[in-house]
Amino acid sequence: MRCAAVLLLALAALLAGGAVRIVQDQCGPFTDVSPAFCPYVLEMYDLGITAGTSATTFSPDNPMTRGQAAVFVSKGINQALARSRRRAALGQWWTTQNPTILPPTPVGMGSYTCASDGSDVWVPAGDGTVTRVRASDGRVLETWTGATAAIAVAVGMGRVFITGQAPGDGKLYMLDASQPAGTVTTVADNLGTVQGVIFDGSRLWVADQNPNISIVTPGPSLPWATTTVGGFGGTSTLLFDGTNVWVTDYVQNALLRLDSNGSVLQTVATGLNPGFSVFDGANIWVPGLDGTLTVIRASTGVVVATLSGNGLNGSVATAFDGERILVANSGPETVSLFRAADLAPLGSFATGTATVPTGVCSDGTGFWITLRASGQLARF
Amino acid sequence: MIGPLALVTALAGGATRIVQDQCGSFTDVSPAFCPYVLEMYYLGITAGTSATTFSPDNPVTRGQAAVFVSKAINQTLARSSRHAALGQWWTATSSSSWSAGLGITPMPDYPGPFGAMASDGTDIWVAGYSSVFRFRASDGRYLETWTIDATAVASWLLVATGRVFVGAFPVPGGGSPLGSLYIIDPSQTAGNATPVATLPSNQLALAFDGANIWSADASDVSIITLSPTAPWPVSTITTGFQYPVGVVFDGSNVWVADDGPCALLKVDNSGAVLQTVSLGSAGCYLNQPVFVVRVSDGAVVKTISPSTDGGPDRAAFDGERILVVSDGGGQDSPPDLMLLRAADFSILREEIFSPFGGSAPGGGTTDGLNFWVLFDVNGPVLARY
Repeated sequence: MRCAAVLLLALAALLAGGAVRIVQDQCGPFTDVSPAFCPYVLEMYDLGITAGTSATTFSPDNPMTRGQAAVFVSKGINQALARSRRRAALGQWWTTQNPTILPPTPVGMGSYTCASDGSDVWVPAGDGTVTRVRASDGRVLETWTGATAAIAVAVGMGRVFITGQAPGDGKLYMLDASQPAGTVTTVADNLGTVQGVIFDGSRLWVADQNPNISIVTPGPSLPWATTTVGGFGGTSTLLFDGTNVWVTDYVQNALLRLDSNGSVLQTVATGLNPGFSVFDGANIWVPGLDGTLTVIRASTGVVVATLSGNGLNGSVATAFDGERILVANSGPETVSLFRAADLAPLGSFATGTATVPTGVCSDGTGFWITLRASGQLARF
Repeated sequence: MIGPLALVTALAGGATRIVQDQCGSFTDVSPAFCPYVLEMYYLGITAGTSATTFSPDNPVTRGQAAVFVSKAINQTLARSSRHAALGQWWTATSSSSWSAGLGITPMPDYPGPFGAMASDGTDIWVAGYSSVFRFRASDGRYLETWTIDATAVASWLLVATGRVFVGAFPVPGGGSPLGSLYIIDPSQTAGNATPVATLPSNQLALAFDGANIWSADASDVSIITLSPTAPWPVSTITTGFQYPVGVVFDGSNVWVADDGPCALLKVDNSGAVLQTVSLGSAGCYLNQPVFVVRVSDGAVVKTISPSTDGGPDRAAFDGERILVVSDGGGQDSPPDLMLLRAADFSILREEIFSPFGGSAPGGGTTDGLNFWVLFDVNGPVLARY
């Protein structure tokens, strides 16, 4: 327990030449920190950010090197992030270790992806259903229908948007989550062989396995206006980083930065068949079927790291919970966990045989995994 | 995987020693410092002193330290927001979304004239005239309606201690209302709110300090003590106040916005004024900027002017951003929504609406994920921003 009392020890130090002055005060274990700096030094000590320059000194007047500054800043960020997570306040410091304790919720068969509105998790499935699962307890709240061959999902402005992969006539569906469950509404069609969908704050972007993307602008009447942009190899998934939309191209094996019209601004090479990627506030994490995880600086497009190992194999989707990155590996039926701030591997975990994990998402507290083969949603 | 690679460097004179290791793109960072330097690099906090060096033994200047700390704070705030975990990196363009029917829920009745709103983190509470509406934040669904005395109009909503407190303003010529402060127990079936206190003048704003409710009352400030039975004790202070219109608690002190002197007043726990922060002398009603006052010393650290003179009158903070709502003040001024990053006051987005026509945004609150305002889209709606 921290000794709350600050002992004002006026130490008379005999300096060279015989001069005497009061040099410092007691501050926790440190005898050389003045009261003005003490609260801040003690906080860093209590948080484990510094141990001082010795057991009893912090050397507050010493100049600091860039390396020492890096230690302070990085450890400070890690503590702040860990403590600001909802998991911390709920005491959930554990990580699910094996499939027998993955509590599954039944959803539609053939579910590829999921998305959360912060309270509930929405899971579209190949059987045309969209299941709403309460995140707090995993209960199925309701099931919407009519989303033929549903693939991907995005949540925005109180609505849920779903792509449906009807051959040659891909559709974008919408449901109003505030209304009783029913049939989804088709808001755009003739979108090709659709894949991923994202919302950028005003428009919806839909990827097409053929060399197009579609930009759908919501309007007062249906169908919503659609602009088709071509020239891609083969698009599959999309993400928005707050500034740009990015799309994965499985023919070029690349992540493409787009401008607001859909024109390609930058091409960044990734692993094989890049999948559902995620932005963490600084970097974009792109999973590859070849078991790579490419980490790309969103502001510059520079590849800051290409990760492998940690169970990465046949990787198809990623999610970010504010602190960690979870990767779905459909081939070996595992998920891989990384700490987002320093890219540190945190282990890989089996989802069970005949599960085929294909999608991951976060509700802000933990992660959820869509198990396509078993028609389940599992909390991680 | 990334791993350190020891490099052997030939020194002048033919001596050889292991001087450094490979650390990401940096060749001058030792293994002891490497994880921390790399984390800063991955987070975009540093790019090094060159493409291959970080210069870990160089002294860090105060300027470099400022860059490190502010970028670290920004990354921490961005990553710890609920938006990050839900992948919601977008900022809605409200005008186009609302006109397309996205992000809006029709109000069951007209909102009250004061635009009172509050959130308990899960639901949004919106004042009507003599009623309070409850909406679910996750999807905007309208849930229920509570009522107060018909001779009172709700002026402020405050969520505290698992209850919703409703400040009330007598309807002019409507007789004597049952109270100026009502309480709702959200765990119970919706019905009538319970009157718990009557204030001597018109109630305008509420704050809770952990023990008492503070009310800005247009000509005084009241301190209301929570009690097992109604009516709750009320202590009213007039000294030092002229026209209190707002009240807020910062964790240590209560502050009162007073339109009389156009000032923000820091008060002690008995309501005595400790400090006066002047916010201009031309009146607080129109053409005023947003003042950012540092609570530790009362300094005005920034003034921010919306692009219109619509009169900013409501602000909400979601942990990372500030939404400022200017409803036009009933004047010939375009209403305005302005979204700011709280850490550096930079303007993220501003939308200006047409004056008149009933389309001015009003109210303003946040559930920690989204902001919510009142608007008119073919009728009154609760709008997600």
